Amino acid sequence: MAGALDGLRVIEVAGGAAAGYCGKLLADLGADVVKVEPPGVGDETRTLGPFPGDIPDPEASGLFLYLNANKRGVTLDLTRPRGRALLHGLLRDADLLVHATPPPAMTAHGLDWATVHELNPRLVECTIARFGAGGPLAGYHGHEITSASAGGWTTITGSPDFPESPPLKAFGQQADFQAGAHAAAVSLGVLIGRDLHGGTGQHIDLSVQEVVISMLEMAIIHHSYGGRVASRLGSKVLQPWAMLPAKDGYVFLLCVTDDEWRRFVEWMGTPEWTEWEIFADRAARAATWDVLRPLLEEWTMQHTVEEIYQGGLANKLAFAPISTMGDLLASDHLRARGFFATIAHPHAGELVYPGAPYQLSATPWVLRTPAPLLGQHTAAVLGLTPEHAADLKAAGIV
Amino acid sequence: VKAVQSPESSVGPLHSTNGLALDRGPVLGPWTLDSGLETDMRPLEGIRVCDFTWVWAGPFGTLQLAHLGADVIKIESARRTDTTRGLVPADDRPGVNRGGYFNQYNQGKRSIALDLGTEEGRDIARRLVAVSDIVAENFSAGVMQRFGLDYDSLRRVKPDLIMISLSGYGATGPLSPYISYGPAQVPMSGLAGLTGYAGGPPSEVGISYGDPNGGIHGTVAVLAALWHRQRTGEGQYIDESQWEAALAMLPEGLLAQVLNGRPPERRGNRDGVRAPHGIFPCAEPDTWVSIACGSDAEFAALCGAIGQPDLALDERFATAAARKVNEDDLEAIVSGWTRDRDRWDVTRVLQAAGVAAYPAMTSADLLADDHLAARGLFTRLNHAEVGVRAHVGIPWHLSETPCTVERPAPLQGEHTDAVLREVLHLSDAEIAGLRERRILT
Repeated sequence: MAGALDGLRVIEVAGGAAAGYCGKLLADLGADVVKVEPPGVGDETRTLGPFPGDIPDPEASGLFLYLNANKRGVTLDLTRPRGRALLHGLLRDADLLVHATPPPAMTAHGLDWATVHELNPRLVECTIARFGAGGPLAGYHGHEITSASAGGWTTITGSPDFPESPPLKAFGQQADFQAGAHAAAVSLGVLIGRDLHGGTGQHIDLSVQEVVISMLEMAIIHHSYGGRVASRLGSKVLQPWAMLPAKDGYVFLLCVTDDEWRRFVEWMGTPEWTEWEIFADRAARAATWDVLRPLLEEWTMQHTVEEIYQGGLANKLAFAPISTMGDLLASDHLRARGFFATIAHPHAGELVYPGAPYQLSATPWVLRTPAPLLGQHTAAVLGLTPEHAADLKAAGIV
Repeated sequence: VKAVQSPESSVGPLHSTNGLALDRGPVLGPWTLDSGLETDMRPLEGIRVCDFTWVWAGPFGTLQLAHLGADVIKIESARRTDTTRGLVPADDRPGVNRGGYFNQYNQGKRSIALDLGTEEGRDIARRLVAVSDIVAENFSAGVMQRFGLDYDSLRRVKPDLIMISLSGYGATGPLSPYISYGPAQVPMSGLAGLTGYAGGPPSEVGISYGDPNGGIHGTVAVLAALWHRQRTGEGQYIDESQWEAALAMLPEGLLAQVLNGRPPERRGNRDGVRAPHGIFPCAEPDTWVSIACGSDAEFAALCGAIGQPDLALDERFATAAARKVNEDDLEAIVSGWTRDRDRWDVTRVLQAAGVAAYPAMTSADLLADDHLAARGLFTRLNHAEVGVRAHVGIPWHLSETPCTVERPAPLQGEHTDAVLREVLHLSDAEIAGLRERRILT
């Protein structure tokens, strides 16, 4: 069956999880994505795990294997003129160039907008930069934790139960993944606009810091609407909205509406709580959380996580267990939906991966090919003769 | 999610502490060329979205479509007001048009008030769908069916329709009938179990992460479907589970389980292979700076910048693997250096040496930040009920067809008459009749 993005030609210049995730979202929906990695070392994510037996192996990084299935891989040294010339050859026929090359290095790598726009006026270029491609801090360095902190996310993550502890980063590459998803969305929007309105390509300057800020939920408006600074040490706008200890682990409780609260207290056998002024509405319950929390804990400690989760489902409440990775891989629901996907990789073997984040009825998400070995498709994609390939390899270009 | 009283709570409603943001527009870089476009239309101008979504996930997704220039028409009703209209009211005075949460994530959209509990209201909705490209909804399972507004019904009035249903568990599978919210996706997905201080309990992540993550993935799916429709004329239905979209964000956790039979342990801000990698205390109370070294070269640069170049040669720290083994010692050295310094001084010194360092920013820091002001991130449009207040605008810039937030979030039903007149070509008398029959509420 056809993919939604059949015919879309994407060149992804490797540089971390953000560009990698953007390319992945497009590749998984059918785009032809060619990933360009530096010879010898490859993409940065090859150095990040998890690895089998925790032994670093650039061809067996779980993160790399996940991000790069469905892509073809070539190596090119973009710091050398011959490497840039070969890249530019690829760009002549491409719709989209996506990369996270630091802005100060863009020109040296042949990725500046003036150059690529002249090569191919229909090309859309998406630059993912830690602090954006323009502005006073465009040259600043960063990693995931830098963006999570610069975006204001870490100061609101943590717990008032640990007042001395530092701001906390969420597990994984969340800032980069969000930047990659936004890059995919905006790139598709711009490509659609190019074709709808008969235009040429354009440059997208996407800031990872700003993407994070755009997801801070109530943090910015707490300030502009209420003069408050959101903090991991503060209190919630409504309660219950908390992880509490149950008999056999932690459980997450949430009542967004007063109807949900009413169903919850009826289930607990304490319907009279709805009459108590201190619990009158969600904001009041947040203000009196010091009182409510021990009362709820007394109840949660008498039940297992599963009892509370199942009871929540039955009472139309969005309660949740703290899933372990093992729980997820064993979930009947996820299995029934066919979420996990399996593919064999020539070096890492057959592995189970997270699968489709969405199901498209006419053009399904498909896992077609495993992640490329470093430089696996160089000769095929660049159309090199064996002599030419050997020459470029000897020169360290590929 | 969490708020404490600000020490600067006397700051006025504009909260532009340096005044910069009010005067300076977006600064574009040297890549900006003369437009080669025949038009300056924004990318999705001409695309119409019937937006039945509420709370955060769906509205976050359709916000991206509005940013790109689509006409997003939010279908609301005072009979079931979006719960975010009640959250973070301006100056703590509640009102359906005063909720900061709603006003943040519905910028640039229009609002029509329509009672979908009536057949006439549903008929108007279907007529809007017939002249739209995209329908988005994130009601509980079965609600759109009960309204006769499910995909199979709507494709009869719009054969090439693209429709997305965004739900906690997805439209199929044993858990599909059940309710969920974005905050619950943090524990459900396992993110809470992987996040937290070493030796401590699982942790939330400060935001209802399942929502914006579900929303942006929905945007990707819808635009991919639109690309396909532009080429083939074929529409389609998209079933997105927020739970699954959240799992797509956790490959390191799931693959650690698959590869090694166990998940990663909670380790605070530490990384699996890099060190130092953390958020370190600075001189002023509750001020912090993130510092991370991804390579030996970056570590050597850090050692030079803090005046201890020999550390890079110390066998305890000479390789990434050694730094991981001796991370406690290494963190003590780094925090010993940051502890008495201002976070911005630390940042400037380390960045000048090529080290990734940046303060852990608060909302107050962000709103007063010169870099973000120069890039024009925050919008300050005049809203009829809450006046001029800062909201987060568009986190990207386009070189040829710049996009800006065109209007503040709509008042409930603000564009009812305009939409009925312009989109459905109803007469004033017809609109008056609908209003009299209480359909437009």
